[in-house]
Amino acid sequence: MSDLIQAVASPQEIICAAERLRETARQKAIVPQMVLEVFDHWAAALDARELREVPGVAFLRLWLRRGTLEPILLRELGPDSLHGAWRDEGRATLRAFPLGVVGHWPAGNIEIQPVLSLTCALLGGNGCLVRVPSGLLEPTQLFLEKLQEVDRIGLLTERIFMASFDHSRMDLHEAMARAVDGGMIWGGADAVSQVRTLPFPHWARVVVFGPRLSVAAMDTGAWGDPAERSSWCRRIARDVWQFEQQACSSPQALFLERGAGCDPAEFIEDLRQAFQEENRLHPRQEIEPALTSAICQARASWLLDDAANRATFPASPDWTILQGSRVDVPKPTQGRTLSVLLVDDLLAVISRFDGTVQTLGLGAKDAQREETLAQAAGRQGVDRIVRLGQMHVFGSPWDGMDLVRPMVRLVRHVRSRD
Amino acid sequence: MSALVDLERSINNLLTAPPYRLDPEQRHCALLALLKQEIAYASDRNPRFRNYVEHWPVDFRSADTIADLPYLPVGVFKANPPLALVAASEIKRTLTSSATSGQTPSRVVLDAATARRMTKGVITIIRDFIGPARRPYLVIDLPENLAAQAELGARGAAIQGQGSFATETVSCLCRNQLGDSDVDLEKLLACIEKWKETEVLVYGFTYVIWTHLVQPLQRQGITLGMPNVHVLHSGGWKRLEQQAVTKDAFRRDLASVFGCSADRVIDYYGMVENVGVVYPDCERGNKHVPAFAEVIVRNALTLAPVEAGQQGLVQVCSVLPTSFPGFLVLTDDMAEIIDYDGCPCGRRGTYFRFARRVPKVEIRGCGNLETTRYPVGHGSSQA
Repeated sequence: MSDLIQAVASPQEIICAAERLRETARQKAIVPQMVLEVFDHWAAALDARELREVPGVAFLRLWLRRGTLEPILLRELGPDSLHGAWRDEGRATLRAFPLGVVGHWPAGNIEIQPVLSLTCALLGGNGCLVRVPSGLLEPTQLFLEKLQEVDRIGLLTERIFMASFDHSRMDLHEAMARAVDGGMIWGGADAVSQVRTLPFPHWARVVVFGPRLSVAAMDTGAWGDPAERSSWCRRIARDVWQFEQQACSSPQALFLERGAGCDPAEFIEDLRQAFQEENRLHPRQEIEPALTSAICQARASWLLDDAANRATFPASPDWTILQGSRVDVPKPTQGRTLSVLLVDDLLAVISRFDGTVQTLGLGAKDAQREETLAQAAGRQGVDRIVRLGQMHVFGSPWDGMDLVRPMVRLVRHVRSRD
Repeated sequence: MSALVDLERSINNLLTAPPYRLDPEQRHCALLALLKQEIAYASDRNPRFRNYVEHWPVDFRSADTIADLPYLPVGVFKANPPLALVAASEIKRTLTSSATSGQTPSRVVLDAATARRMTKGVITIIRDFIGPARRPYLVIDLPENLAAQAELGARGAAIQGQGSFATETVSCLCRNQLGDSDVDLEKLLACIEKWKETEVLVYGFTYVIWTHLVQPLQRQGITLGMPNVHVLHSGGWKRLEQQAVTKDAFRRDLASVFGCSADRVIDYYGMVENVGVVYPDCERGNKHVPAFAEVIVRNALTLAPVEAGQQGLVQVCSVLPTSFPGFLVLTDDMAEIIDYDGCPCGRRGTYFRFARRVPKVEIRGCGNLETTRYPVGHGSSQA
C-alpha cells in the first residue's frame, strides 16, 4: 500500500484520521478560490503519459478546471462565495462553512470517482475520508501522486485521508460513518443500501448518487438525416464506450422515433461503422470472462426471443448492437451492448420511465419537440437531459442534486446593530 | 425426413468409431461437415434458431473451422419452454441441470433417437476407461434418484448414463429421521460381502460421495476392501473447495475407503446441455474429447480459440443431439488446453483440464439497479 492510500485495519485508525481532518478543517480555513488554484494545476498535471489509458481521465481534467468549477460554485454557493466573503441577503448576510469531515463511499467501477467525489467536498472546505474500492487503488494512487506534486504546501492533501479496507469489514465502515459529518455515497443498489444503513451521527448530511441507468433517444429528423447521421453515431459510440457502460450515465438503449422515408438499416450501418471505429481507437485491454458470457448471452437471447429481432456484432465480444421494436428499457447488459429500439412515439417511451432513468441523451432536430420531450422526461424522474455524446460529462446538478452545496452549511448572520 | 436420415447415418459413423483413435484433422473435417448439416437442419426446424444463425458474423456454410460456427451460450437453455427441434409429442425425456438455489436450471429435451445416442455416447466413452464388461453397479445416492422419470435431473441422468454397465444396481444411501441422506451401512456391507472378488462400478456426485460415504466411513474406521472397483464421480468441486478438500486428498481418501488404488478413482466433467458426452480424467489427469465431439477453449477477450497452455471459456461441441440445438455450446466454465494432440496416455486429439466456474454474471457499478422506484403497470412491447 502507498503512503497516499492507507491500508486500514482497525476502527481506531479511522477515528484518529477523522479527528485530524476535522481539526485541520477547523484551524486552517480555506476558501474555494484557493482550492480552484490547486485544482487548475492538478488538471494540468493529469495530462501525463502514465494516466492516458485510465478511463475518464479526460473528464477529470475538464472537471478540475476553473472554467468548469467557477460557474458551479457561483450558482450553488452564491456570487461572493469564491473568496469566502459574506454576501448580503436582505438585512442578513450569508456565508458557506464546511460541514467538517465528509466520508466518501465511491462506486467500485468508475476509476475517477473517488477523486471526483472528494473534489466536491474539498470545494466546501471539508476534510475528506475516502474509502477507495480495491479495484481502484492503482488509478487513485496515480491521481493523488499528481495532486501531491502540485500541492507542495499540502493545502489539500492534509485534508484528505484515503483508506483501503475490504468491503466486508463492517466494523470499519461503521467507524467511518460514526466519524463523519457528511457522507457522499455512490454505487449500485447493494452497495448503496448497505452504506445507507450505517450509523451516521444524527447531524450528518448524507447524499446518495445512484444507482440509476440512462438511455438515449433521437427524433426522426436527427437520425433520418443522412448528412448528420454518422456524426450522431460517433457521439453515441463515444457515450457507449466510456466505463464499459457501467456508469449510471451510460446509455443502455437508444430509441429511434419512426418516420416516413427513414431507413433504420442505414442508421444501423452508420452506427456499426462508428462502433468499429471507436473500438479501433479504444480497444479493450482486458475483460472479465463473466462479462464475455453476459454479452454472448444477450446476443443469443435477443435473437432467440423473437425471430423479428435483429443484431449486429463481430465474432469478438468488442461491441453489440441489438435491434428491435419495444418501448420499455431492456435489462442492461453493459460491455458496449446497445439496444436500438424503433418506436412510434418517443413520448410513449418517456411516459414509461419509472424514476430509475438518470440521463436522457437526446438527438433532436425539432427544437419544439425537444422541449416537449425534456418536459416529459423531467416529469418522469429524469435528472439530466443532454445532447448525445455528452452523457458522461460530469456536472452540477448530478442526480438532480447540487454537488458542493450539500456538504456546506450556509450560515446566516443578522447583525445586532444597523 | 431424408435430412434427418442422412444426419443419423453421419452421426452413427462417428459414434461407432473408436472414440480416441481418429486422426485429429480427419476428425475435424468429419465433424465440421456434420455440424454444418445439423445447423442447417436445426435452422429449418426452428425459426428463432435460424434468426440467430443468420445474424452470426460468419456464414456457417462457408466456415473453415468448427470454431467459426455459431455457438449458443449455455444460458439459453434456461428458457421456458425449452429450445426444441421436435414437436412436444416427440419429447421422451427432459433433462434438467443441477442449478444451485435461486437459479433457473437448464432444460434440454430428448426425443427417442437423441436419448439413444446419449446412452451410446456415454457407454462408448466410459468403456474406454473401465473396459467393456458388465458388472455390479453401486450408486452412492438415494434410491429415488435411480428411478426413470420423464424429467430427469443431472444426478439422475449421470446415474442412469452408467446403468448400461450394470448386471445389478444397488443404491447405498437412505434417508434418516430428519430426512437427510445417510449411508445405509448394512446394505453397503452386504454388497461388499457379495461383490468383493468381482469388478464393481461405483458412481456418485463428488460432494455426495465425500459427505455421505468417505467422511462417515473414515469416522468409523471402516475400509470396504474392494480392490477391483472403479469409482466414477462428477458434479464439480465447488462445495469441496469450500471445505478445502483438494482433488488429490479426495482421490486418496476415497481410494483408501474402498481399499483400491487411486488410479481407479476417475473424475469426469460433463453437463446436461452436452448430452452423451463426458470427459473423464485419463491417468495423466487430462480430459479427452471423443470422436463425436470437440472442445474449443476461447479467449475471453477475443473469443478466438486459445493456443495450447492457455486458459479460456469452454465451448463444448457434440453431434449427438437432434432434438434440441445443443451442438455448439459456450459454457460458463474455464479450462486450459493442454494440447491439441499427443497426450502420453495415447488418446488422440484435444486434451484439457478444467480450471473453474466463471462467477455468476452481474450488472455492476452505479448502473446496477435491483428494483424500480415505483411499479409500472404497462406491457412490454409495441405493436
